[in-house]
Amino acid sequence: MLRAPLHRALSLPNLRQLSPAFRNLSTTSAQLEKIEVFVDDKPVMVEPGTTVLQAAAMVGVEIPRFCYHERLAVAGNCRMCLVEVEKSPKPVAACAMPVMKGWRIKTNSDMTKKAREGVMEFLLVNHPLDCPICDQGGECDLQDQSMAFGSDRSRFTDIQFDGKRAVEDKDVGPLIKTVMTRCIHCTRCIRFASEVAGVDDLGTTGRGSDMQVGTYVEKMFLSELSGNVIDLCPVGALTNKPFAFTARPWETRKTESVDVLDALGSNIVVSTRTGEVLRILPRLNEEINEEWLSDKSRFACDGLKRQRLVAPMVKNEKGELVSCEWEDALVSVAKAMLRAGEQTAAVAGGLADAESLVALKDLLNRLGGEALCTEHTFPQDGSGTDLRSSYLLNNKIAGIEEADLILLIGTNPRFEAPLLNARIRKTYIHKECDVALLGPKVDLTYDYEHLGDDTATLKKLASGQHPFNKKLSAAKNPMIILGGQQFGRQDAAAILAAVQQLSQSLSSALNNKEWKILNILQQVASQVAALDIGYKPGVSEIRENPPKVLFLLGADEGTITRADLPKDCFVVYIGHHGDQGASMADAILPGATYTEKQGTFVNTEGRTQQTQVAVTPPGMARVDWKIIRALSEVVGTPLPYDDLNAVRQRLTEVAPNLTRYGSAEDANYFAQATELSKSVKTQLASTPLDVKLKELQDFFMTDAISRASPTMAKCVQAVLKQKSSKY
Amino acid sequence: MASNILRKLSGTFKNVGLAGSRRVNAAPTVLSRHLSSETQTEPESRPTVRKPDLVARAHVTDFGRYVAECLPKFIQKVQLTGTDELELLVAPEGIVPVISFLKDHHNAQFTNLSDIGGVDVPSRMYRFEVVYNLLSVRYNTRIRVKTYTDELTPLDSVNDVHKAANWYEREIWDMFGVFFADHPDLRRILTDYGFEGHPFRKDFPLSGFVELRYDDTKKRVVVEPLELAQEFRRFELNSPWEQFPNFRDTTVIEEAAPAAEKK
Amino acid sequence: MATGKAASVVTRQVRPILSLSHNEARMRALALYKAWYRQIPHTVNENDFPKSVKQCRQKLREEFMKHKDVKDVRVIDMLIIKGQMELQETATKWKQSMHIMAYWKDTVNKKPTDFYSKFLEGKD
Repeated sequence: MLRAPLHRALSLPNLRQLSPAFRNLSTTSAQLEKIEVFVDDKPVMVEPGTTVLQAAAMVGVEIPRFCYHERLAVAGNCRMCLVEVEKSPKPVAACAMPVMKGWRIKTNSDMTKKAREGVMEFLLVNHPLDCPICDQGGECDLQDQSMAFGSDRSRFTDIQFDGKRAVEDKDVGPLIKTVMTRCIHCTRCIRFASEVAGVDDLGTTGRGSDMQVGTYVEKMFLSELSGNVIDLCPVGALTNKPFAFTARPWETRKTESVDVLDALGSNIVVSTRTGEVLRILPRLNEEINEEWLSDKSRFACDGLKRQRLVAPMVKNEKGELVSCEWEDALVSVAKAMLRAGEQTAAVAGGLADAESLVALKDLLNRLGGEALCTEHTFPQDGSGTDLRSSYLLNNKIAGIEEADLILLIGTNPRFEAPLLNARIRKTYIHKECDVALLGPKVDLTYDYEHLGDDTATLKKLASGQHPFNKKLSAAKNPMIILGGQQFGRQDAAAILAAVQQLSQSLSSALNNKEWKILNILQQVASQVAALDIGYKPGVSEIRENPPKVLFLLGADEGTITRADLPKDCFVVYIGHHGDQGASMADAILPGATYTEKQGTFVNTEGRTQQTQVAVTPPGMARVDWKIIRALSEVVGTPLPYDDLNAVRQRLTEVAPNLTRYGSAEDANYFAQATELSKSVKTQLASTPLDVKLKELQDFFMTDAISRASPTMAKCVQAVLKQKSSKY
Repeated sequence: MASNILRKLSGTFKNVGLAGSRRVNAAPTVLSRHLSSETQTEPESRPTVRKPDLVARAHVTDFGRYVAECLPKFIQKVQLTGTDELELLVAPEGIVPVISFLKDHHNAQFTNLSDIGGVDVPSRMYRFEVVYNLLSVRYNTRIRVKTYTDELTPLDSVNDVHKAANWYEREIWDMFGVFFADHPDLRRILTDYGFEGHPFRKDFPLSGFVELRYDDTKKRVVVEPLELAQEFRRFELNSPWEQFPNFRDTTVIEEAAPAAEKK
Repeated sequence: MATGKAASVVTRQVRPILSLSHNEARMRALALYKAWYRQIPHTVNENDFPKSVKQCRQKLREEFMKHKDVKDVRVIDMLIIKGQMELQETATKWKQSMHIMAYWKDTVNKKPTDFYSKFLEGKD
């Protein structure tokens, strides 16, 4: 496992990353004096060690590049960033060369232009002219830069057709299509795989014009972050396989939205055309996903048009679900609700937006129903869900980078929240940060200290008797991440109490009083909003008092089954996919997915974000909160909101943080929560801590959308196939 | 033949015009491109670039200058396009005199009105540009005359000068809603009877406002307002990974807006 | 008359289309109305469409009243020109009965206004 990501012989060594001993160079250089350089005669003061390219960026001059990427190590092999420096006989590679005092950098001089033209010509000598059939066309760096910097004539006179290099394509899995002839050997994909994804599969073989990027052996590039190399690839060598030959980038409509397939709420751009989601791309958000996106969020979008519920359905006398008109469905649901009166309950699933959550709660409360639950549980003993601090990722995702010791308890962040894991890995590599894991041993792509997986260790840690406690108390910024999955256990309250007590004891000894220690990693996108609104975590209440009418708001995890309910219970499913929830329903009211509605979601750090409408719901499907609003009218107690603004007004009344978009509200009262947790009587059980998602094949299909996605199914197959291969 | 005449013209011009070059500046005439082109001496060697015909350009330039001198009241600007086509930008009230001058003057003889076109630029004060393309068969040259107007200001019809203008102006009226005064028969030419709106206006949606269908119960074609609002077409030509917006030269062609509004 | 004065106060002097004053425009509008009014019986007689003279005259009034608040002389003129054009199309029978019936829009349903019917229609 490499800590400092400098390894490829082809890359120009960047001094700063030569060895771990140099890792602190940047911190020491802060005390050094700034030096002055001139970029196109504009003076700029920079720290020593700044590269020419960075100095130029400071004065707003962008230098063309292919191999350089801000989030990856410097390779310096494409030579596109050559610029002239006065009194230097040769042009210098801007991305790798640190500036010296008084340098005069000319980014648009004749020598620079000639160098660029020459590099461009060399790149194009072996680059196929297949732009018309290339999926990168329109968003291709090579295309753009050859327009901007290339020569306007060709010296290519290969009329015998024996010249251009051809490279065999690689099979790297069902997500990435490779056309290796187009590769310009920028090595961005290689660097991404080994530095960010932590999968050292990609590399180069050969040299000169025989150089090839590949996997050395017949092996697929399987990682939970593999899709990002598509965005990184400056040419069409690595493209999106499910999206191949579908659309040109300029003819798609782009909607800036938020992902809901994990609890992080990564920022995405939804590309649509003719009412169809074609692909999903990441959107830059330094606070959450930087510019990466997990494969599930990126590729599960084809599940949005399969297995969809497109018309309302009601069970007929034979017990078969038949589609009907909205009015009929609403009337039959309303009849059942009026019969049941107070005995109505609801279970909210992981993809429900805050608007529909609050609407459903209002509707049931008006009828006297109080049993509104979420699928994922949370211990109600101690402070329960009253104090927000006990169910949020309090340090925030970006806060991980400041941590120097991370203790993961009962979680596998690699598959529960891949981008959180990428942050931990980034911190582990670039900063002095150590990681320990209490829970089943899994591959996290970085080294960690495994503390075992039994609850006795947790008990020892909480009481301060474990050897690891020394490390914890020595750390300046320790961080404890507790996986939300552990709340499903019988002794959840004890686990939470133990973790709370541990973090409280650490935080009292901490110099930095702002630093939070306790972090909960939620499993699903809707959980935090549901708890903020006042849903009860876990379905135990429904099991104890079986209702006459049960609403499933996208609840597909099977936490409540027909066996838990009395025979005459009328189950209403409001959701978008024909999955577990719909199969046990007596009436189905088709809703909208996250790409089809403007919905509020709160991620695991408590950050409120909203999705945007990219396409319209298919068939007769409607936006979820409107279904509930319409139903309320049929029931006879119309809810007092007719449009989105009014619903959001109501959300603000319930919890003001739910409409402050983009901001993550800090939670407090850690000490009080800990005090309350001491009253917890539950004892730690002896069953070892376990996580559901252990291996890559578990990662791909976790919710109604990804279960419906054929691409995700192919991924699972590919991983299993890879497992059986000899490599 | 043409070159002979034009050379003569330039001679005339030199005698009259250059003697008082200050006068040229003072006149509303601005020749946008020619000055730089005359100083440019280095021959173009790049194979992909069109070779400029400096002689022809000089002739066209001189002719443009000559016309501007003859009709200083109406011609606001004379310009050359990138491919050396001569354009006269005239005030709306001068369109008939200018067109008849070009038709009847012995040195011009633009006797053929090839086409009248329209351009809608909603951001301008006078949003419509009306473009007259003329051909001189005698001298084998073409000229473009442009004028401007808005939705409510009528233009004079050139039907009395060129009979060809009849249908062309009807077309402009139908497509843009520019009214031509003194036109003998100004009515719709392309759209259906009862059609509302002018389809070439930029604020007219591509899908139109109404749709027609045959109604089986009514046994006739019915007109209904269009329900499906057309998707706003926005082509994003920048790649999402755009790295060098600064290097993307968008060559903005200099807009030949009419000079300061008269009166 | 007052509007005529107001027009002269406007700083930008504009070229008239047909009418020099508001009064003149008004006369033209009335003349056009009368022409239509007199044309209607012939049109009803000569075309096959299910409307009576009375209904047509009601529609005529409706169409004119749509623009009752137009004050700009040039806009009135433009409307008169277009109305004249339509009249010509109707009188010369260039318009077929379907074109004439287009004035009534008798196949267009009203849009829902309350939440519930909008929900059932699936429109916002």
